[in-house]
Amino acid sequence: MAENKRKEKERDEGNRRRQKSKNKQKRNPQQKKRGPHLPSSLQKQLDRLNPTTSFDSLDSDHDNDFYEYEEERAEEESKKNKRYDPASVPDDISPQIEDENVQSDDESEDADYIGTKRNENVPSDDSGEEDDERHARMLQAITGMPSEAFQDKMKKLKKDTVFPELHPESEYNPSQDVVDGDAHITIEDLLNPLHEEPGYAKLRKRMQQIEKSAGPTHVPLSKAIQAKVERKAAYEISKKDVTKWQPIIQRNREAPTIFFDQNVDIGFSTVGAIASEFEPRTEFEKNISAIVYDDKVMEAHKNDGSKLLEMNKISIEDEKDRQNLNAKIRSYLFYHEKRAKRIKKIHSRVYHRLLKKDRLKAKISQIQMDPEAAKEDALKEERQRAEERMTLRHKNNNRWAKRIFKRGLNSQDEGTRAAICEQLQRHDELTRKMHSMKGSSSSSEHTSDEDEDENSAGSDQDRAYKLLGKAKEKTMEVLEEEDEVPESGVFSLPFMRREMEKRKEAAVEEANLAFQEYEDSLKKLENSGGLEDPKAASTSGRRVFGTAKGQISDTTNKVKSDNCYGGSDSEDDFGTGKSGNIENEGNDLLHKDISKNSIVAQEDTHSHQESVFKNIDEIVKNPGPKTTYEVSILVSDTWKKAKTKNEDRTIKKPPKLTGPVKQDIKDTEKEFEEDSDTDSEGQMVDGILSSVSKVPYELPSQEELVRQVFAGDDVEDDFEKNKQEILNEENPEPEKPLSLPGWGQWTDIQQKKGLPSWVLKKHEDAQKKRAEALKKRKDAQLKNVIISEKIDKKAEKLHTKSLPFPFTSKEVFEQSMRVPIGPEFNPATAIGPLNRPEVVKRPGVIIKPVEFKEVNPHEKQGQRGGDKRKFKKNKDNGGNPMKRAKLGGKS
Amino acid sequence: MGENQENDAALRHNKPSTEQEISDELDLRMKKYLRGEGANLEVLKDKKLKGQLAVKEDLYGKSAKAAANAEKWLMPSEGGYLEAEGMEKTWRIKQEAIAREVDISSSGKQYDIILPELGPYTLDFTSSGRYMSVGGRKGHLGIVNMINLSLIKEFQVRETVRDVVFLHNELFFAAAQKKYTYIYNREGTELHCLKEHGPVLRLQFLKNHFLLSSINKFGQLRYQDVTMGSMVGNFRTGLGSTNVMQANPFNGVVSLGHSGGTVTMWKPTSASPLVKMLCHHGPVSALAFHANGHLMATAGKDKKIKLWDLRKFEVLQTLPGHANTLDFSQKGLLACGNGSLIQVLRDVSGTQNYSRYMTHSMVKGYQIGKLVFRPYEDVLGIGHSMGWSSILIPGAGEPNFDSWVANPFETSKQRGEKEIRSLLDKLPPETIMLDPSKIGTVKPKKEKPTKQEREAEIEAAIEAAKGMKLKKKTKGRNKPGKRVQKKQEAVARVKRPYIEQKIQEEENISQKKQKTSVGVELPKSLQRFARKKASS
Repeated sequence: MAENKRKEKERDEGNRRRQKSKNKQKRNPQQKKRGPHLPSSLQKQLDRLNPTTSFDSLDSDHDNDFYEYEEERAEEESKKNKRYDPASVPDDISPQIEDENVQSDDESEDADYIGTKRNENVPSDDSGEEDDERHARMLQAITGMPSEAFQDKMKKLKKDTVFPELHPESEYNPSQDVVDGDAHITIEDLLNPLHEEPGYAKLRKRMQQIEKSAGPTHVPLSKAIQAKVERKAAYEISKKDVTKWQPIIQRNREAPTIFFDQNVDIGFSTVGAIASEFEPRTEFEKNISAIVYDDKVMEAHKNDGSKLLEMNKISIEDEKDRQNLNAKIRSYLFYHEKRAKRIKKIHSRVYHRLLKKDRLKAKISQIQMDPEAAKEDALKEERQRAEERMTLRHKNNNRWAKRIFKRGLNSQDEGTRAAICEQLQRHDELTRKMHSMKGSSSSSEHTSDEDEDENSAGSDQDRAYKLLGKAKEKTMEVLEEEDEVPESGVFSLPFMRREMEKRKEAAVEEANLAFQEYEDSLKKLENSGGLEDPKAASTSGRRVFGTAKGQISDTTNKVKSDNCYGGSDSEDDFGTGKSGNIENEGNDLLHKDISKNSIVAQEDTHSHQESVFKNIDEIVKNPGPKTTYEVSILVSDTWKKAKTKNEDRTIKKPPKLTGPVKQDIKDTEKEFEEDSDTDSEGQMVDGILSSVSKVPYELPSQEELVRQVFAGDDVEDDFEKNKQEILNEENPEPEKPLSLPGWGQWTDIQQKKGLPSWVLKKHEDAQKKRAEALKKRKDAQLKNVIISEKIDKKAEKLHTKSLPFPFTSKEVFEQSMRVPIGPEFNPATAIGPLNRPEVVKRPGVIIKPVEFKEVNPHEKQGQRGGDKRKFKKNKDNGGNPMKRAKLGGKS
Repeated sequence: MGENQENDAALRHNKPSTEQEISDELDLRMKKYLRGEGANLEVLKDKKLKGQLAVKEDLYGKSAKAAANAEKWLMPSEGGYLEAEGMEKTWRIKQEAIAREVDISSSGKQYDIILPELGPYTLDFTSSGRYMSVGGRKGHLGIVNMINLSLIKEFQVRETVRDVVFLHNELFFAAAQKKYTYIYNREGTELHCLKEHGPVLRLQFLKNHFLLSSINKFGQLRYQDVTMGSMVGNFRTGLGSTNVMQANPFNGVVSLGHSGGTVTMWKPTSASPLVKMLCHHGPVSALAFHANGHLMATAGKDKKIKLWDLRKFEVLQTLPGHANTLDFSQKGLLACGNGSLIQVLRDVSGTQNYSRYMTHSMVKGYQIGKLVFRPYEDVLGIGHSMGWSSILIPGAGEPNFDSWVANPFETSKQRGEKEIRSLLDKLPPETIMLDPSKIGTVKPKKEKPTKQEREAEIEAAIEAAKGMKLKKKTKGRNKPGKRVQKKQEAVARVKRPYIEQKIQEEENISQKKQKTSVGVELPKSLQRFARKKASS
């Protein structure tokens, strides 16, 4: 079979060759005719410049050949592929061969080979033949076949090397050996000598397998192309792989909310679980665990509790001792507590002072005894002083003190004032210079003690004198001090100078004031001397407050009395201010009377009412320009009367009406009666009580009457005018084209023409615009309605300025906003889903990457919810968990 | 028992026979909760938005369905009406007849309180209907617990009292007295004297906004925030004094009826009325609003009672007759009082076609001053010249109360909590507008032409200028050069206004920029020395 095939191939080959040569013959002259024809001289030049071009042109002949594969040739040339031995396939040979082929058109293939062989044999040398011989010998040794057979083969092989095959081997282009028939060593040949060897059968079997499966192997593609092909394939595969995720991703994207908190194992759920994981690490823990997990104990636990008890045995005495100790401690604690409570309850200042003193004494004694304690104390004190200097905590800067000063010191009770004094003293004490404190350490003790202070009022006075004197001097110094005016720098700027001057003035003023104050206080000191009350003299700070308090209290009293006066008389003042208003006065009178008769009123309401009415009578007696309607009603004493004498009253009511008006009223009355008549008639028809009197209950005042009578005259016209006004205001009418006098009126022609056309046009346009705007108004069609089109600027913040992002149309946005989502407007079941955030996640939950899961892409969200539930049930029942690999968190 | 029987009959009549009917009814209710149609999502190109909106709409639907179901099945009681049989007419049924039929507790709600001395009385109920404040013209103020009819407090102010109104709960009420308005607490202690309001004729309290609005003798409308005490609005109506004033419960817009027959509607943030409409040819004597805010009833001295659709501002119905006072009940019954006769109208068919439902006549000579329906009860309170009365109007009140809105059986603790909640939910005064559902929508703009439109406009104008035909002029004026020049001039003239406008805008912007930049550049200490530029 194989041979048959070969023969066929041979035949094919022969035919093709013939065709090829024919083609070439035909084509060559054509090319000459057609191609771009360069002058020969130029051609030569070109050749000289790049000799390869001629070769290329020659080569192109082959390339254009029907069968020839361009790539192949190129590779050969570039010698990229090392398969082509440069020695065995010289470049310049191939054209020769081609030429020969062309010449030997009808020659047999064998002749062709001979020719080539001849050609080849010329360059071959002896060394090559020697090699061949050696090779043949080797083959003979291996295969055990006579050397002649190889000789022949060798020759043919040589021929083979000579014949350049430009195409990859294939069934259309078989190798030379195949064409020649069986001329090379087959694997069979190599295998035959191994016939007796042990692994022969196995080897042969494998060979057969290989032969069966092996087709012709192709020339591997170039690396780049191979990579490209591979990439393409990989892409296809990965694409397929990725697309399976699409439904999952799509579902995730479309989902209104993604849940990440389902099926989450939060880890240890019980204390036992946590404890079981515990491993002792530190020494202590190890010790403990050694005790706890002691074999004996464990065993005892396992077996019975009784053993444990045995191990726990304690002697009765020990237990008793322990109990006693506990009782002792408890009782001691109890007594201590009691005592603390009792002491805490003691409010006595004296007691506390004594206590403090004791403590101080103890401290001092300790200081004296112990140098270290003394040091510590000094340090502490130093620190306190420093802190005080920094924070000025005791200088009335704290909130409490500020509040008290704000309210006024005088309004405070003794205790707080004392406290403030004390605080100030403390401040003094803490901020006093060190040496001074050292010098008068005893005096500081004095100041801390109030009892002793009371006696030292005189010394305090002296000190005050001194202090005031000093202050005086200092202020004088400040006043006399000459300030230097800087010549340059920032302070030389005019505004700065002005500012400085101002400040200086202020300072001088202040100093003067201070000066005066000092003098005043000095005088006071002189005047008061020892006459001051002991309270004021108790502390230096208090003295000032005391005097101030006296003054201020006076003023406050005055103010109070003023206030009282104002409070009581304010209304009266009002009344007198509006002297014309009798009602007011009447009211006041009323008030007074009521205050007088209040007791009576409480006793008997009836009499009280009478008194009120009396008052009113008085009011009426007062001649006033106006008596109001209400008052007049009151005048007509009782209501029962009013009820019976209805009509009489109506006439009586407006008592201060002039003649003509009265007539009017009568007229109107008539009208009303008529009205009521008609009304009753109308109701008679309906079959309703006609007995109901239709007389209006109140006869309105004259103003109202006039308004009522004349109001309906041209209401509509008024309204229309009003509407026009408002329209003009909201959409103002365009200005009429004005002709400036003298402008454009030089000649008759201009006058005749009138205004320029563009002005008129502009006006017309503006009018059109206005008309359009008016048409657009909501009330354009409604004759009797004016709807304001003014934009409320305050309400603008209640609207969105522009459409929020994903929306493109206003209508859709507004429709989507129409339903409120708050708990007030929706049933409890709907609030959750309406307000659920995009991602629901419990804190601490780890979000896992998305896992693959078969998802029906056309499934709806809502249905999935149901599935979820089913799914859970399934899981409870137990199933294949792997198949139900879940999306990380979601669904 | 007649009423109850009638109710039962109505129930039986209303009972749906099949599931189909039930579902139809639910659909109807659902529609109410859906608040209009959803947007047409097919138009949207953005798929993501489309998906999101579809999900949202679905949720809305579910919520509406749940709400409808809750309303259908969980509402404890249903309202009923008087229903006549055969030749009977509902308006011929008298209060005595009703009293004979109803249970004891209901019959206790019919009474007359005769207080002849202290003049015509005016009434106000709290939103839950549990408390009533009464104000006698001659200074008699009181608060009554309506459940056990006990007087909580009664006192005399010895001044004319023109109006009383409860604030957010029964603890406080305001009384418009002779000179000033006062706020009292339940114990009758005077808490505030609102002097700025002047001699007030009528008071209204806007519960959601905590605004006390008043109209005084000089026609000044004032709004005062009762939480902070600030005067929110103070407007001169310019239409004379009036004592016809009513707040629209739906949107908080306050309406005034004027002597010129006009009704004006106001909000506290604008000095001009939102709407001004000519309702009657005579003076307007009374005003009332339906709870849904769409229906307004006005009565004029021209012997007409008109019902208005406030969405279109058109008359729905005109009825003959006078009315001194009007009031809508929660269920939409309209009570009109005139002289000593009371008429109650009812919209029988649900098509805003009101017809007579009940009548009641007081004793001859009693002049009705004020009619107020008691919330959550079938009771109409009447303030008249001889005291106050109360009659039964079946079907007037809402049968089911929502304790989040108003609870007639509120405990003091609940009251306190509700007070806090309502204070937290207090609406700012600018939320009062004709259509409050517009809040949150896109800002209404005076459309500024877009850039493209403006460009197109300019181009069109230039084209028009170029296409203008020139006259044939004589004597050298018709030279081609001249003609070209003229055309160019025309184009320039057309362009000029646009360019000027642009320059103006740019200037404005640059000015703004300067203002901001000057502030930024200098340190604060030196800012006062910054040289002021001439342009800014």
